[in-house]
Amino acid sequence: MNKTILKAVFLLLALGGLLIIPRYLESPYALHIMILLFLSVAQGQSWNILGGYAGQHSVGHAAYFGVGAYTTMMLMHTKQIPPWVGVWAGMAAVIVVALIIGSICFRLRGPYFVLASIAVAEIMRLSAINLTALTNGAEGILATELPAFKIGATVITDFLTKVPFYYLGLFLALFTIVLTLWIQHSKLGYFLQAIREDQDAAHSLGINIAFYKNVALVISAVLTSLTGSFYGIYVGFVDPPTVLGLDVSVQIMLICIIGGMGTLWGPVLGALILVPLSEALRSNMVTDLLVKVGMVSADSKIGIFLKENLSHAHVLLYGILVVVVILFMPDGLMGFVKKMAARQKREAV
Amino acid sequence: MAVFFQSLISGILIGGVYALIGIGLTLIFGVMRVINFAHGDILMVGMYLTYIIFTMMGIDPFVSVLITFPLMFAFGGFLQKVFINRILDAVAQNQILLTIGLGLIMSNTVMLIFTSDYKILTTSYSSSTIQVGGGVSVSWPLLVSFLITAAITAALYWFLLKTDTGQAIRATAQDRDAAQLMGINVKRMSIIAFGLGSALAGTAGALISPTYYIFPQVGGVFTLKAFVITVLGGMGSVVGATLGGVLIGITESMSAVYISSGWKDVVVFVLFLLVLLFKPSGLMGKSRT
Repeated sequence: MNKTILKAVFLLLALGGLLIIPRYLESPYALHIMILLFLSVAQGQSWNILGGYAGQHSVGHAAYFGVGAYTTMMLMHTKQIPPWVGVWAGMAAVIVVALIIGSICFRLRGPYFVLASIAVAEIMRLSAINLTALTNGAEGILATELPAFKIGATVITDFLTKVPFYYLGLFLALFTIVLTLWIQHSKLGYFLQAIREDQDAAHSLGINIAFYKNVALVISAVLTSLTGSFYGIYVGFVDPPTVLGLDVSVQIMLICIIGGMGTLWGPVLGALILVPLSEALRSNMVTDLLVKVGMVSADSKIGIFLKENLSHAHVLLYGILVVVVILFMPDGLMGFVKKMAARQKREAV
Repeated sequence: MAVFFQSLISGILIGGVYALIGIGLTLIFGVMRVINFAHGDILMVGMYLTYIIFTMMGIDPFVSVLITFPLMFAFGGFLQKVFINRILDAVAQNQILLTIGLGLIMSNTVMLIFTSDYKILTTSYSSSTIQVGGGVSVSWPLLVSFLITAAITAALYWFLLKTDTGQAIRATAQDRDAAQLMGINVKRMSIIAFGLGSALAGTAGALISPTYYIFPQVGGVFTLKAFVITVLGGMGSVVGATLGGVLIGITESMSAVYISSGWKDVVVFVLFLLVLLFKPSGLMGKSRT
């Protein structure tokens, strides 16, 4: 009991801290990192519901991310429909897409499901490139100026700084965490986990497998589409490779794999590792650090090479992380930590 | 009619190379039950290897296959021994993720070394064609690569059907445990199978390098194509992959002509989904329930 109270107090303090951060943190770059962090948590958590809890490892979540982002951006760009209306259209579009995908892909199991999910995402990407009239093709859609968000005549926010995006992102991340927590302890969650552990056994217990898989898919897809819309309006630009590419699917999945699939805090942990690491590489922080420590000099050949190339290496890092995690901690960091804790307990006894 | 025959012939020619890619993937799957998501990236490594050999030593891409093949075999064997071997008993998802990770490492390492610029390997015959008659012409480099593909495929069939090692590989594919009980060194067969699969992908990369752009991310397209081919033919079936490769080649070139070149890949993926739905065991595969 004591532990639960401690946990609650800690979480409340963390939440309070997150809420007041923008008051003290003025650097736009630091806020940017926080926003990316929230986005990653929400993405990971969305994937987690389908991949982690229901055990359906989709490698095509870029389809939902991209459709959400594109719908919102297209409506804003061509019809001047504000994004907070477009988001709903995006979610509706994604539900349709998800149900079509579900009815096709859920007849397949294991590797075949993975292949089908990739194929669907690729069809979406190629369609976005080819349907030039709708999507502006490979050029993508640029929409930097957001209309101000008003209720009645009062302007709530005009999206001129990063602060409103910070709170939106925080809300999105919290929402997905709370939803996952609720699902975890609901009948739905237990059904999903039963399906993950043994489909046939779950079926023989009278669980309607196809129905619950589709429920998990729709929840997961709608949340992913929300993150896609958020990404679209935050960055102000979408094009086929950045929102519909295979990299996007892999990155979403990676957040969960590194942290630990099917756990509440896995995606949070995954995002906390992945985002700072790739940002550090992207902004040349690692190279600067190596220079400062004196391991390489800035003018040497290696120094120049690192400076020019390491910033593109964050995907390489993803690759290395996946390989290391799969080989040495297949249950992710959460699983690894739990195992270590269990071992220590045993040794103590 | 000339247009029809033209696209049919170029479809068959490119289909030969696709078959080579598909056979590599199906061989790996057959022996280890591992779906290799790094297959296209291995092909990409083959392309860059050919590019290096061509620019540094001036050796023609079609001749340098003799160097690429053994090098890629060694590379594949290394991948199997160091990485894949450790996850043979893991769940399918982890196997897929590991190979995706390996593919990311390959493509991004190549990008660090060569940057992501498109490279073109221009040979004297890159754009030369031969008139066959009836208004149909055949691209010279595609024809040569098709002939080399056919020769390699024939040699591979001979190897798998007639040699002891080939039979041991097929036995391992049929039943790993039984093969081991019969005294077959299953681990060695796995290394050979992954080596061969990589060598075939690398060779396919070498063969298309005179006609394709070479860039670090080129692999993704081919990984997906390789899956379409093997699923169409039946996972694990070498004959199926050969057939599937040619079929996909024809489908692509036909839909490029009669629909539009932008949508040809979409047609292929839709076909893929249809096969997965209605005949997941593929053309030649035996359904395992």
